[in-house]
Amino acid sequence: MYLVADISVEICASKSCKLCTQYCPEANTILYSEEMGKERGFKYGSAYVAVDRCKGCAQCVWVCDNMAKNNAIKMIMIDQLPKAALTDNITYGEKSTTAVLMSPVVG
Amino acid sequence: MSLDYVKFSNGFEKFMPKEYRDMVEHGPFGKKVTVSQMGSFKEVLEEHPMCAGCAMTLFIRLAMIAFPNPEDTITVGTAGCGRLAISQAAIPFVYGNYGDQNGVASGLSRGLRLRFGDKPKDVVVMAGDGGTADIGFQQVLHSWFRKERFTTIMLDNEVYGNTGGQESGMTNRGAVLKMAPLGKKFEKMDMLQMAKVAGCAYVATVVPNNPRRVESVIKKAVLIAREVGSTYIQAYTSCNIEYAIPTDKVMEDAKTVENDRYQFTEYVSEEAKQYLAERYGYKEFLPKPAAAIPNKA
Ligand SMILES: Cc1ncc(C[n+]2csc(CCOP(=O)(O)OP(=O)(O)O)c2C)c(N)n1
Ligand code: SF4
Ligand code: SF4
Ligand code: SF4
Repeated sequence: MYLVADISVEICASKSCKLCTQYCPEANTILYSEEMGKERGFKYGSAYVAVDRCKGCAQCVWVCDNMAKNNAIKMIMIDQLPKAALTDNITYGEKSTTAVLMSPVVG
Repeated sequence: MSLDYVKFSNGFEKFMPKEYRDMVEHGPFGKKVTVSQMGSFKEVLEEHPMCAGCAMTLFIRLAMIAFPNPEDTITVGTAGCGRLAISQAAIPFVYGNYGDQNGVASGLSRGLRLRFGDKPKDVVVMAGDGGTADIGFQQVLHSWFRKERFTTIMLDNEVYGNTGGQESGMTNRGAVLKMAPLGKKFEKMDMLQMAKVAGCAYVATVVPNNPRRVESVIKKAVLIAREVGSTYIQAYTSCNIEYAIPTDKVMEDAKTVENDRYQFTEYVSEEAKQYLAERYGYKEFLPKPAAAIPNKA
């Protein structure tokens, strides 16, 4: 089993700085969704991870903890993720993306 | 090389993979995308086999977002880690023998000018420090002396990463590596000074822990190379494998190295400043109004 990054929508959407989207080494792996935050009553959206592309480096955790100072990202075993996004279920829009979350992701 | 190659052939749309459809419909082609929009559009870079957490990967990702016209760009690379990602992008990539990248790029950029005249077609070389400062050194320097109009980017991880840790000319003195167990005996080469002596119109150092700066440096280098002359960017892109940097500390390392010995530097020739100001509206390079002479009372 292996670790992937998981972003807490509640914690991220309170800040929604998008820094992790700029620092993940992998392309189109941390994405941004307006809807994800707004549908839970936040003013802004949230970042989220397409876990099929995540290589588990935890750079985003360092960026969120130390640069954004928001501690919204944790590394979780892929089979322990409650729900997660996969590239196939992501739709790009004009300024944001939307994702249908899967559960379970593997197994 | 035009917007024509990023559209569907009639009748094929529904057979194309999702990534391809996303690229055509929500990619950066024909639009201006910026680093601040990352996470909201489909990038040209796809999945690739470079190591988890590699700073070089992040730099390549940012560079591709910064290309002013990705649909009119060709990248040139050589043996080394970077090509594993650069080749996995929706931008044509030329891969030659180890070290011949600046010779290939010279011919390519001249050929494109003959074929397309004034319509800008950008050539960007991205190669490792070994590829640029050791094996390709002669061709790199000569392309600069000839003022070939393309951009050279050194992905400086200060080691031969792809082959398991030999020292390169860009390794720091004293560094002990798996295949340099006694420590390097010579200083790191000063390629920046050589680029200036050889007449490059733009020379910059950058570290990927500042994405907006990477974006700005790449844009300027590519634009200047269209008309003024050779441009050179030297990017610190650590190898977390050969230097045993834990992947979650790669950005911390980048910050420390930037502060210690890889500060941002930028040289822009006078001709390049004038060109950027007049052609592309770079306000910081507009000629300064003559200072008012204070009235003597
Ligand atoms: C002519 C030739 N000699 C040797 C090699 C083997 N080789 C492949 S990559 C590489 C080193 C690459 O080091 P560098 O250019 O610094 O790039 P990095 O992998 O560190 O990014 C070598 C020696 C080769 N491909 N061709
Ligand atoms: S760095 Fe943290 S707070 Fe900022 S967008 Fe990413 S998860 Fe959200
Ligand atoms: S763990 Fe690494 S690869 Fe995965 S989302 Fe975070 S930065 Fe990206
Ligand atoms: S060997 Fe080093 S430079 Fe090459 S991909 Fe891995 S971490 Fe990056």
